[in-house]
Amino acid sequence: MIYSEAILDYANSKKFRGKVEDASVVEEGKNISCGDEITLYLKVEDGVIKDARFEGIGCAISQASASLMIERIINESLENVESIVEEAEKMARGEPFDGQKLGNVSIMSDIKNYPARVKCFLLAWKTLKEALKKISQS
Amino acid sequence: MLSTRLYEDFPILKTKINGKRLVYLDNAATTLKPKRVVEKLKEFYYTSYSNVHRAVHTLASRATVELEESREKFANFLEVSPQEIIFTSGTTMAINLVVVSLLRSGLLKEGDLVLISLLEHHANFVPWLRLSRFYGYRLEYIRPSGRFGTLEMDDLMKHEGKNPKVIAITGLSNVTGQRIPFEELRNIFPNAIVVLDGAQLLPHERVKPKEIGVDFLAFSLHKMLGPTGVGVLYGRKELLEQMEPFLYGGEMIDRVSLEDVTFNELPYKFEAGTPNIADIVASKEALAYLEEIGFEAVHERVKRLTQLALEKLLKVDGVELYGPLDERQHGIVSFNIKGVHPHDVAHILDQEFGVAIRSGHHCAQPLMNLLKEQSLLDFPNSTCRASFYLYNTEEDVRIFVEGVKKVKEWFSR
Repeated sequence: MIYSEAILDYANSKKFRGKVEDASVVEEGKNISCGDEITLYLKVEDGVIKDARFEGIGCAISQASASLMIERIINESLENVESIVEEAEKMARGEPFDGQKLGNVSIMSDIKNYPARVKCFLLAWKTLKEALKKISQS
Repeated sequence: MLSTRLYEDFPILKTKINGKRLVYLDNAATTLKPKRVVEKLKEFYYTSYSNVHRAVHTLASRATVELEESREKFANFLEVSPQEIIFTSGTTMAINLVVVSLLRSGLLKEGDLVLISLLEHHANFVPWLRLSRFYGYRLEYIRPSGRFGTLEMDDLMKHEGKNPKVIAITGLSNVTGQRIPFEELRNIFPNAIVVLDGAQLLPHERVKPKEIGVDFLAFSLHKMLGPTGVGVLYGRKELLEQMEPFLYGGEMIDRVSLEDVTFNELPYKFEAGTPNIADIVASKEALAYLEEIGFEAVHERVKRLTQLALEKLLKVDGVELYGPLDERQHGIVSFNIKGVHPHDVAHILDQEFGVAIRSGHHCAQPLMNLLKEQSLLDFPNSTCRASFYLYNTEEDVRIFVEGVKKVKEWFSR
């Protein structure tokens, strides 16, 4: 069962919710089929994610995923973050992934067994990917 | 007639979901198929399959006869002429056909008024909205003023005297389950072209378009025990004759020269290309099955289950129910649990209880916005929807409601 206590705790956690006032990039993401929305705030300094927060509404899976993601990427270099995203995508597809790189995120590895929920899990990550693109273009 | 036989007729009901008995409550999305329909498909492909109408060989004749028998069956069911029955891929295509063909033939033109309601699912919303931008007709919305998306008679009456060219409305909301008093449309809008979206209605109710003065009626067979990919569009002959085809191509033509074409007679004028032959053929078995059980019996059972589910859910704290909650609500119960997203509700009901419900915006975003305005919860832009059909039982409702209570507990730890 994907709704473990740990995952529900992350879903309900307020720790990474809200805005980053002096964010370097703000990115919005949406799941068209369910109407879930996320706004991701990233503050980048010297190629490192110094702070990150998210706002939005969504199911427990998408909210837990966003919290776990932000916890994992704060204080990581953009380069590292890119490879973390790759590993998260592999995990969602059910491919072998680097558990060490994902850290706590891997508590959601069971998501591969629920194809209909993979897009809930990936919403935050897709949004992060777009944000990273924006940063590299600027 | 309704008894344990139903369980035998729908083999998929024996499927186990995580070791639990399947409780299928997603009938508004699509219904399960009885053996009779599946066997008809197989038999047809094994013995009579061919293209239709064109060739003179034996298989072509068999296939053509079978397909036209389907058409006749639906014509008899609706008490209309077979010429007025057009097979489409589903309700969506049927409604697109109506909008585009009315525009091309000039029956609907710049400046005309079209009325639709905020209850519509996207199939009866987006085509009217989008094409108004290209063709310049005016679009007005009938806003439901009743509790959570309930359309009241007054809401319709407000538009009386506006003389719309078209009124297009659902017969039964796919979100709130409200049965609309569509019989009144003809009286309120005597001159309008009345388009009834029967996608949710026809599985539950026999409709006679001529008796109630409906000009177009669209529905999908997969929501009434038939195969996917088959829709029926009834159109009043006088209108169909004046209308330009929607799709151009094979079989819909009469004569083709280098200068222009003339069209085939009704209904073939609106059936370009090779139709979905086997599924159309098997569709008549779905209708035959429903007629054997009896529409009244189906209606009565679904009514009982709907009222039971509403009654039980009303007693659960933190559950918000949408729609009218009275006898107008038929077959569909739409709700949210405080603090729990519909996807999480649906996922846990499935995993832990074997209960299949739908979660999401149900392709009715304008209505979702309206529910959000009135919701006392932190409305998640979507709802949970349990929808019933003839094979559901009171035990199904009990398991479903127990599941809802458990999900609520789970998330309030």
